[in-house]
Amino acid sequence: MTGLGTSESGLPRVRLPMSPDEARRLKAGDLVLLDGEALATVGMPTHRRMIAEIEAGRPMPTPMDGGAFFHMGVCYDEEPSGPGRLHYVNPTTSTRFNGMMPTLIRRFGLTAVGGKGGLSRDSVEAMRDVGCVYFSFVGGASALLSLGVTEVVEAAWPDLIMQFRLNRIRLAGLGPVTVAIDAHGESVYDRLQASATARLSDILQSVRSG
Amino acid sequence: MAITYDLVREVTANLYDWSLRQIPESSKAELRRAVETETVPQARQTLAFMLESAETAERTGRFLCSDAGVPSYTVKIGSAARFEGDIRQAIVDGFDHLVQTIEPPILRFVTNPLTNERSYRGKDMPLVSYELIGEVDYLDITCAPKALGGGRWAAIEILVSPSIEDIERCIMEIVLRAGGQHCPPVVIGVGIGGTFDHAAKLSKDATLRPFGERNPEPLVAAMEERLTRAVNMTGFGPMGVGGSTTTFGVHIEYAAGHGFTPIAVSFNCWINRRTRARIYNSGRVERIE
Repeated sequence: MTGLGTSESGLPRVRLPMSPDEARRLKAGDLVLLDGEALATVGMPTHRRMIAEIEAGRPMPTPMDGGAFFHMGVCYDEEPSGPGRLHYVNPTTSTRFNGMMPTLIRRFGLTAVGGKGGLSRDSVEAMRDVGCVYFSFVGGASALLSLGVTEVVEAAWPDLIMQFRLNRIRLAGLGPVTVAIDAHGESVYDRLQASATARLSDILQSVRSG
Repeated sequence: MAITYDLVREVTANLYDWSLRQIPESSKAELRRAVETETVPQARQTLAFMLESAETAERTGRFLCSDAGVPSYTVKIGSAARFEGDIRQAIVDGFDHLVQTIEPPILRFVTNPLTNERSYRGKDMPLVSYELIGEVDYLDITCAPKALGGGRWAAIEILVSPSIEDIERCIMEIVLRAGGQHCPPVVIGVGIGGTFDHAAKLSKDATLRPFGERNPEPLVAAMEERLTRAVNMTGFGPMGVGGSTTTFGVHIEYAAGHGFTPIAVSFNCWINRRTRARIYNSGRVERIE
């Protein structure tokens, strides 16, 4: 089973984790589908604990170096041996993790991050330095998006509630996703925000004049 | 005959369940239209994916979003409605029962704001507002769960004796602050006037209006039309990654007030979860949305 809707066939496929050079080949605005593996969490406590572990010099509970790390909720059956059958996935808003993401991107040399809503300038710069892109997932499209995830392979930090754990998911055609921040410092979010702000007076004048 | 505890418990739980699996008809119609009118090719593809996913969720009973949000109800009470049992408790108990039995399971989103502890229960949960309507013999209940995308970006400003131009600029500044983070194409609800709390309530009510309906007052309808065009000229587009479809409609409600004018703006994400039913004294249940 893949996450391909009828309109998505023919999109380029990207296998995760990427090398920094592979990440640098993607350009802001590209639409792609994802294969391979990624970590997924939506937890603020998770991010805080990662930062605390880094500061304490302790290892992460699962390998993160050079990996893909998504702001994405995951729901699955819990079995005694670990994660069971996957129910669904969906992205969440990344900007609330702005304060922690630059550290995580640099420390682990992440080559892909993602979710929805983007990340701030500090993250964009960290991504340019290490060779990392941000994938924008379509929120609210869980019914199709979930078909692009085949399995939850691991759930690190099981003391946290399900969607807060570091859930390692296996992907088969997850998407379509948009490269919304590329590894060259180009952020679609920053560009659109600057453009809308600069044009606000013109927009208001234009709609008033009919 | 009267509206019973059992019936309210069952209907409010069903409204929440249904809201997780299907988008309103007017949202579907807007998506179909936008797939044709959107000017950016990638955005057209995103809109088509949204529409196909929503249709899949409805057909297969899957959830639209992994975030079930927090349950939020608006209960309009006809003054000829009669009750049997504790109607407020019925809504609480219906939600409690639902989260234990729903398939697939929903994740914990009810959050204590002071400790950030998450659960399925919490103070004042579900969030319910009650209001009296005319002399009709039913309860009119709307369920509209709220998650971060649709709930986080709401804002209120209080201006003093503003002009229409001032009000429209204020609304657009709030729209710009939200950017594309609320899972556009969104519905935008604006409440103008009254007091702080009243404007917020009007704004929420405005988000619940189906697309295609305009405020009956021409002055307000003209503002809605201008602002809808203005928001779509920002370029944020579907999921905020560029396009000409950022909103399917700006809906405005207003109330008289003092010279200070609260302007409340709230959003709901593209799945626009909203279901609605009436329960009559006779025990009849009428699904509206």
